[in-house]
Amino acid sequence: MTAPVDTTMEAAHGQGWAERLDRRSGGIMVLPAVIVLLCFAIFPLIISAYLALSRFALAPGGFTLKFIGLTNFRKVLVGSQQYHLLGQFGAFGLVQWLSVGLVAAGLLVLLGRYFTRGGPTVLGTVGRVLAAAVAMGLTMLAVATVAPGGVPGTVVNTLLYVVVGVFVQFALGLGLALLCGQPIRGRNFFRVVFFIPLMVTPVGIAYTFRMLADMQKGPFAPLVRAFGVGEWSWATEAWSARLMVLIGDTWQWTPFMFIVLLAAVENQPRDQVEAAQLDGASGFQIFRDITWPAIAPVAATVVLIRLIEAFKIIDLPNVLTGGGPGLATESMTLHSFISWRTQDLGSSAAVGYMLLFISTIVCVSFFNFVVRPARRFEA
Amino acid sequence: MNVEPRSLARRLFEPASIDSQAPVARVVTYALLFLWTLIVLVPLYWVLITSFKGPGDVDNGPFYLPFVDFAPSLNAWNFMLVENPTLGPYLNSVVVAVSSTLLAVLIGSLAAYALVRIRFQVKLAAIAVFLILLAAVIAAVATFGVKWQVAVSVAVALFGIALFTLVGRTKAAVGNTDIEFWIISNRIMPPIVAVLPIYVMFQQLRLLDTQVALIATYTAVNLPIVVWLTRDFFAGIPLDLEESAEIDGASKFRVFFTIALPLVRSGLVATFLLVLILAWNEYLVALFLSNVEAQTMPVLVSAQNTTRGPQWWNMSVLIVVMIAPVVVISTLLQKHIARGLLAGAVKG
Amino acid sequence: MKIRSLLAGVSAICALAGAPAQAQDKPFAGVTVNVITQTGAIQEPLQRRAPDFEALSGAKINIIAVPFSDLYQKILTDWASGTNSVDAAVFAPQWMVDYIAGGYLDDLTPRVDADKDIQQDDVGAFFRDFSEKYNGKTYMITLDGDFHMMYYRKDILDAAGQKVPTTWDEYLEVAKATHGKDMNGDGTPDFGSCIAKKRNAQSYWFVTDVVGSMTQSKGTNQGTFFNTKDMTPLVNNDAFRKALDFLSESTKYGPPDELNLDVSDTRPLFASGRCALNLDWGDVGTISIDPAQSKVMGKWGAAVMPGAKEVLNWDTGKLEACSAEICPHAVDGVNHAPFAAFGGWGGGINAAADPKVKDAAYAFFSYMTQPAQSNADVTVGGTGFNPYRASQLSYSDLWKKANMSEEEAKVYLGAINASMSSPNMILDLRIPQNQKYQQVVLDEAVSRFLAGEIDKEATVKAVEDGWNELNDEIGKDEQLQFYNATIGAK
Repeated sequence: MTAPVDTTMEAAHGQGWAERLDRRSGGIMVLPAVIVLLCFAIFPLIISAYLALSRFALAPGGFTLKFIGLTNFRKVLVGSQQYHLLGQFGAFGLVQWLSVGLVAAGLLVLLGRYFTRGGPTVLGTVGRVLAAAVAMGLTMLAVATVAPGGVPGTVVNTLLYVVVGVFVQFALGLGLALLCGQPIRGRNFFRVVFFIPLMVTPVGIAYTFRMLADMQKGPFAPLVRAFGVGEWSWATEAWSARLMVLIGDTWQWTPFMFIVLLAAVENQPRDQVEAAQLDGASGFQIFRDITWPAIAPVAATVVLIRLIEAFKIIDLPNVLTGGGPGLATESMTLHSFISWRTQDLGSSAAVGYMLLFISTIVCVSFFNFVVRPARRFEA
Repeated sequence: MNVEPRSLARRLFEPASIDSQAPVARVVTYALLFLWTLIVLVPLYWVLITSFKGPGDVDNGPFYLPFVDFAPSLNAWNFMLVENPTLGPYLNSVVVAVSSTLLAVLIGSLAAYALVRIRFQVKLAAIAVFLILLAAVIAAVATFGVKWQVAVSVAVALFGIALFTLVGRTKAAVGNTDIEFWIISNRIMPPIVAVLPIYVMFQQLRLLDTQVALIATYTAVNLPIVVWLTRDFFAGIPLDLEESAEIDGASKFRVFFTIALPLVRSGLVATFLLVLILAWNEYLVALFLSNVEAQTMPVLVSAQNTTRGPQWWNMSVLIVVMIAPVVVISTLLQKHIARGLLAGAVKG
Repeated sequence: MKIRSLLAGVSAICALAGAPAQAQDKPFAGVTVNVITQTGAIQEPLQRRAPDFEALSGAKINIIAVPFSDLYQKILTDWASGTNSVDAAVFAPQWMVDYIAGGYLDDLTPRVDADKDIQQDDVGAFFRDFSEKYNGKTYMITLDGDFHMMYYRKDILDAAGQKVPTTWDEYLEVAKATHGKDMNGDGTPDFGSCIAKKRNAQSYWFVTDVVGSMTQSKGTNQGTFFNTKDMTPLVNNDAFRKALDFLSESTKYGPPDELNLDVSDTRPLFASGRCALNLDWGDVGTISIDPAQSKVMGKWGAAVMPGAKEVLNWDTGKLEACSAEICPHAVDGVNHAPFAAFGGWGGGINAAADPKVKDAAYAFFSYMTQPAQSNADVTVGGTGFNPYRASQLSYSDLWKKANMSEEEAKVYLGAINASMSSPNMILDLRIPQNQKYQQVVLDEAVSRFLAGEIDKEATVKAVEDGWNELNDEIGKDEQLQFYNATIGAK
């Protein structure tokens, strides 16, 4: 990264208005952005915090907000709405203990390496412990609710969309970028066509996929009937409904991964690739030793961008299934939205804050522990 | 010319030259690429032909080929574009998306440039005082019913006093990377958390259901993305050009507009397009902030789901007219997108 | 507050309001009224007639349409925040109580009393006395008659040797007997029963259809959601359990994706000839006679909702066979309790609107409901308006023009009449925050039950606990008073 260079300090200390303006130019350049964000991000966040701690009620001529402390949070975390946000916990068997144990061991190893490698700082330790704790908690939650007898809540649904969705989109995007990066004709054609799904409004995509996936009159209905599963529908079973949401999401966002990764692939050091080819290196070797190191920083960055956006998923499940069957496809944003729609502004804000908390920890951790190391070797 | 005879297997599996592929690999590559082309195009094709269908063609379907198994009609197009005032929302979408994107790119790239080129030291104490005052203002307005104009004026005055007295004495400060990180991290915030307060804010300003409200909100929502992408572009351009201009006495702003911006043109175009797409397709905020005057296309699309069944044909017309301009623009700007992404994200 | 002074002004103006229609020289020239409603049906007739009304009165009617699922909150946000960009709304009577609690709705009683053209006597008693009113005052002008009915395919039932079901058990039998037959000649098997069971849509109303016919047998004011003595939810009993059984059993004879169908999906399904039985509002009738959509013209019929031969003993929680004493309104030993689900779209006016705008808005709603307009609108499927006036229930040239045969009219209008005049009609829940009771607790629990996430007992417990929690949170005694007031319990 380029180190910030301080040129203002060197500027002559003139007394003219223009010069004084110029000396302050840094502040003036950043100020609009800061003001906009204060008005539309920080200020609303503080208001929402207040809402999350209150009960909203209609009153003659307007409404009242009654401060009720953490009741809204208690309700969704340990109270009557726990099954909704966190889910219902199933029984822990061998598989469950094993997977939890594996994750715990992995996290401990990572933490241990941080300390043994030397130079742990207070901030670094706190951040890593917090990240590990959240990762552990979310893993336990996912394992417990997916276990037999359990039912995942909106947190686990959202995590599923984020983790599986982003992973699949990245894999597909990278695969397509590598294919497109081959010396082929019509690369620009593919680039334009593959880019299109990104431009469709998510609401439109949701409806399009409802049309496509219609078991009675969609384009694939005769095919489905021919296979004799016409009496079955993706919409009635939890996992197939979730899969449908993931398919729609993947259709839309693979292009984003693809377009950025293709740019990175095209930019990999050509001469090294050619030299390796002359040496008779296999395609996989070239990918592992040349292409991947060259595109890793970009890859880490696009995954981060996508992670951030993926946490906000709402349009697709809302239109495709309305969050059903049961709670199977409901994301946290949809959960919050549904609470809002039924006048439960406190719960809505509380769920929103839970989402903010989880996505912040996940995204910031990813930035610190994946993106930064990936970009460290550059420039 | 290479005239040495090669075995069939070698000819099939090995490339003839370094810039080409072996025949088998080539077939596989094209097959996979065309498969994905199909995956992309089939849904779009279905939307396109559905826009020429009527209720009967959908309900008794599926029908695949216009003229062959159903008679296409322009009824839905006529209904949406002639009989219904679709033009209004369409113009709203254009105005809102384009202006908010321009604003976001302008404000965002200015900030990004400054953060790359100028060192900042913001006192932690100043930030703390600011946040405390902000919370105090909100508490005063929300719980004690103080008029917001009064509360804000008092807070501004107090902030000024604090700046001159307390803050000067402290040392702890945040630097450029912290500010950058803060700006970008705003993108993590789910819109659902912020949208209700924003609604109330615009209601106080009497700006609900106006394009202004949407433009301002979209600008803010997309600003972090712009800063994130453009900071890398600016960091990638060589310093000497700017420095020589500054020695010639050009102001920072002048350097920014005349030297830095043109250098990252491709990157800006790519950023512009991405943000434009995000703003063009946004639904949740538009649903809250617009009623009739400022309604945008995504809201109109979702409104086609009625108690008589989703009006697939009408909805398809809207989706088609929504995609068309963005596809044209991005095809035209194709060259810039590729180059822009190279300049920015790749250089990191 | 400002609103109170406005209210004072309003009552003065109300005296003048009776006569707007007489002034032929465009009394509302220059007035613009923003009317919000849902997109599609309901929006269509309002939008279509707005220019005519403008030509007549000079008032410009601006129709704002938002998707149904966002309408309630959109109106509430606008009025509660004091934005008041919405002058009037066409909405569901269920929401009225929340809007009235905030004082946002204008009391229309004096206007209605003074308005001759509106012909209130012609409006069905149920709408006039329950839907439009709250605490004895009129807050809404009904534009649409809404209750659940059962639709069936005459030809399919005849072919299978089945009678039109009158009880839920018979319904299941018929569904089972007809399921899998090809009902529209396209060679693919069709379905015995189509009920909208999608989450966050309309499914919870169908629960009440079934439960209600077993819990309420002594008339509308007996109630069906809560015990009118102490607000105990009528959930932990055999009637509710049997209704759950019915829902899961009927799913077996439905389309494979029934759990993801809302009424907007089941209606085209019935009209395209794919269902032998269907539960829905009156809309299915008008869609079934629409030649553009319907493949079942002349082949369908409608009947009052099925009922039960055993009803709940509120004290024991067990079902008991009907007797003349327990089921005074039973027909052939079957207790029917037609459900006024939703209760019919109607127009209400923002109390904070400008007086002149209020007058214009009232005049518009009055215009819309007058038989000259309304009797034509209810015969057209695209309007979303169903019959609610006595004069609309006889076979007229309007029905004929709408492609309804006299025979179809007899069963369809007969079924409406039978439901509308039933003394045992179920009034939809209209206590404060009813959305949380139905759309959140009931809908969620039933949806999870149908998806297999929880079993029957857990569902009963989830609904009972959820409703009790809401009662405690909002105030049990107040809710009890509200509940008894809305159903007219003694």
